[in-house]
Amino acid sequence: MEEAEDMAMNETNTIDGHATISALFWSRATELQAKTVIREKDFGIWNEYSWSDWGEQAKLVGLGLKALGLERGDVCSIASEINKEWMFADLGSICIGGVCNGVYPTDAPNQVEYLINDSSTRFYFAEDEEQLDKVLEVRERTPTLQKIIIFDMEGLRHLDDDMCMSFEELLELGRGQLAENDVWEAEIDQAKPDDLMILTYTSGTTGPPKGAMITQGNMLFMMSTIKGALPMNAADRQLGFLPLAHVAGRMLYTFAVIESTCVVHLVENLETIAKDQQEVAPTFHFAVPRFWEKQFSQVSILQKEATKFGRWLYEFAINIGKQRAQYTIQGQKVPVRLAALYAFVNLWVLRNIRVLLGIQECRWLSTAAAPIAPDLIEWYWALGRPMYELYGQTECTGIATSNVPNDLRIGSVGKAMQGIEVALSENDEILIRSPGVIKGYWNQPEKTADTIQQDWLYTGDVGRIDDDGFIYVVDRMKDIIITAGGKNITPSEIENQLKFSPYITDAVVVGDRRPYLTCLVMIDLENVTYYAQENNVPFTNYTSLCHTQEVQDLVNREIEEVNTRFAQVETIKKFRLIDQLLDPEDEELTPTQKLKRKVVNEKYADLINEMY
Amino acid sequence: MALLEVRNVESYYGPILAIRGVSIDVEEGTIVTLLGANGAGKTTVLKTISGALEPQKGTVAFDGDNVTALEPDNIASLGVGHVPEGREVFPFLSTEDNLKMGAFTRAAGDLEGDLDTVYGYFPQLREHRKLAAGFLSGGQQQMLAIGRALMLKPKVMLLDEPSLGLSPRLVQEIGDIVVRLNEEQNVTVLLVEQNAKMALGIASYGYIMESGRVVMEDTTERLAESTDVQEFYLGMKSGGARGRRRWKKRKTWR
Repeated sequence: MEEAEDMAMNETNTIDGHATISALFWSRATELQAKTVIREKDFGIWNEYSWSDWGEQAKLVGLGLKALGLERGDVCSIASEINKEWMFADLGSICIGGVCNGVYPTDAPNQVEYLINDSSTRFYFAEDEEQLDKVLEVRERTPTLQKIIIFDMEGLRHLDDDMCMSFEELLELGRGQLAENDVWEAEIDQAKPDDLMILTYTSGTTGPPKGAMITQGNMLFMMSTIKGALPMNAADRQLGFLPLAHVAGRMLYTFAVIESTCVVHLVENLETIAKDQQEVAPTFHFAVPRFWEKQFSQVSILQKEATKFGRWLYEFAINIGKQRAQYTIQGQKVPVRLAALYAFVNLWVLRNIRVLLGIQECRWLSTAAAPIAPDLIEWYWALGRPMYELYGQTECTGIATSNVPNDLRIGSVGKAMQGIEVALSENDEILIRSPGVIKGYWNQPEKTADTIQQDWLYTGDVGRIDDDGFIYVVDRMKDIIITAGGKNITPSEIENQLKFSPYITDAVVVGDRRPYLTCLVMIDLENVTYYAQENNVPFTNYTSLCHTQEVQDLVNREIEEVNTRFAQVETIKKFRLIDQLLDPEDEELTPTQKLKRKVVNEKYADLINEMY
Repeated sequence: MALLEVRNVESYYGPILAIRGVSIDVEEGTIVTLLGANGAGKTTVLKTISGALEPQKGTVAFDGDNVTALEPDNIASLGVGHVPEGREVFPFLSTEDNLKMGAFTRAAGDLEGDLDTVYGYFPQLREHRKLAAGFLSGGQQQMLAIGRALMLKPKVMLLDEPSLGLSPRLVQEIGDIVVRLNEEQNVTVLLVEQNAKMALGIASYGYIMESGRVVMEDTTERLAESTDVQEFYLGMKSGGARGRRRWKKRKTWR
């Protein structure tokens, strides 16, 4: 172990001879020039942007910020949905020596205020009128804030405010600085691997969000090791739809693009994802479990509408696909008879499903950021597309373990990646040590000391490692339920099975220090509505839909079905539906639309108590 | 049991699904309003109730009987008076003949007395009783359309945007008359409106429709307090920090 430590300490990582992300980005931009790197859909048209465009725009942003007085280490925040300007501003502020922080566009004004103050943001990029209004509302109480730059000026023609300027004006300001030779290049040369590069706020389940400090070196390490887990190349197409404020989105759509020079396609907006995906047909696709669950339930519902023959054919095809997957997962040769059957169902069924889902050209699917049901991963393998589960955290700059071709186990998160050590503490907490582990949390030395001890990152996840080195994540440590009977239960395992139902979007299992388990369920509006209409269940709105006996019975059946797969103490005895349609602006949901266990437990305490 | 019960109704115009699974209750003696933007499916709901459209799915029950997809004249003779959007008076018939047309489906009764009642509510119609209806003003035509439905002695009246194209004063007047009809003639009213202020003022219960679905239902007091209703239907919104807010909040309907 000491040897490994020495290696990690002594070796300076480089990619193509560059030791910082800034230098790597600039060399890519100057070398690749006219090669396309970003496609963005605008009013239904895919516009292309080359490396030169990205380089030039970033440079103008950087020089503009410099002219506004940015000094090395100053924080810039970006509040926007994913778009090209986000990427321009990100690299502009990083290369000029700033630190770039992402704000979720769904954050409420008080959260914006907290983020600006906690990070001491000086420059704030706001996507549009809506994001601008949030920051204007709180700016009296954000003393460090100096300038607000607005990407989209629509509806702001009359804006006359000394603190605000448009993105165009910033670029213009930067253009005026072009004559001053080499400022940009000089700042890029000054960057060191130890420099703080981005702040990524992680939603603290206890206390306010904490800013994870990711350095140039952290990210460069991640990019050099990611090759093993996500081997993208220049010919690959990605679909960019996850928020860039999240470490996964940032890592994949920005830094992995810089490393691999693949092309990222930015969706028009969050409603057009399915359509955009069909058009782009990505070759490399990373998404969170929520996304894969949604695709699966879309297909389940469609096949319920199909003819009897169609349903039978679907079942048959998936079955053949699963049998074949037994071989392909292990990298073994598929028996001839099975291969022939597969060729047939592939042609008539599976191929069509893949086209529908827009994954027909995918050579690599991956999932992380939340637990996923193993059955779902198998389903994608059965469809004929390999899916690999990864595991990691913001605090280790993205991912730490991964399944890879011919070396995977469904249900595990794979093995530790190159240059990363994973171990278990005495209480089975997963520990990570790598050059990707962050310096700490911004302005939070105590929290940092709790989380990172002697270079080991304490992930807060309970896990186990099998004899072959495959790592299994059991649950969040603090989420483990100990029932009144003293039995330890891992709720996420049960929740994953529940979420596999097309009618259940998310569920929270409750039962800590209680006699038995219960759960709160969030139904899938689309699929349950469809069910209600098919079965002539009268309802008016979401609330009344949740309250109908038929829907209660439906969810009950789904839960009973899941119960059969668990031991008696792990079965759900009662449940309640969350009868309000939640949207990402509600505190109950994370930006990736997962229910927050703690908030749900507090907010629905009455509903929970009813069940005991 | 409510006087009018609409359950899970789905109606199409050709291949286009106009309302998808709408359920509405109208209690006897009340005024219930149905609000929504253009194209939300409000008119379709009324047409489905009165039999002008046949629903693909779902049922309509009136006074305890299933009346789904009966012929419009049958439904009218049961006591459902439909006042269509845009008045649709017979332009070449005189005012009085228009009113008599309203009584066409019921067994002859005290026609003269009923005419007097209508003229009592709408004195202007009496003045123009011999005039062809096409020559009446918009407001008078609206009165005529309501009066024509009244001649049916309906138990429930389906009013489709009676305030359409009327001056604020006339809107007020029509609103008052609807309330009086409800109280004095014991007519139950299902009122479709764009003018949310007037509708929430006179109705006791309300439904809000969006793209063919009910998204919210509640008493009108509570609807009027909902921030979404205030912003999207009553035009009350704060200007934000700049005083010129243009962007719209996400609707949550709670």
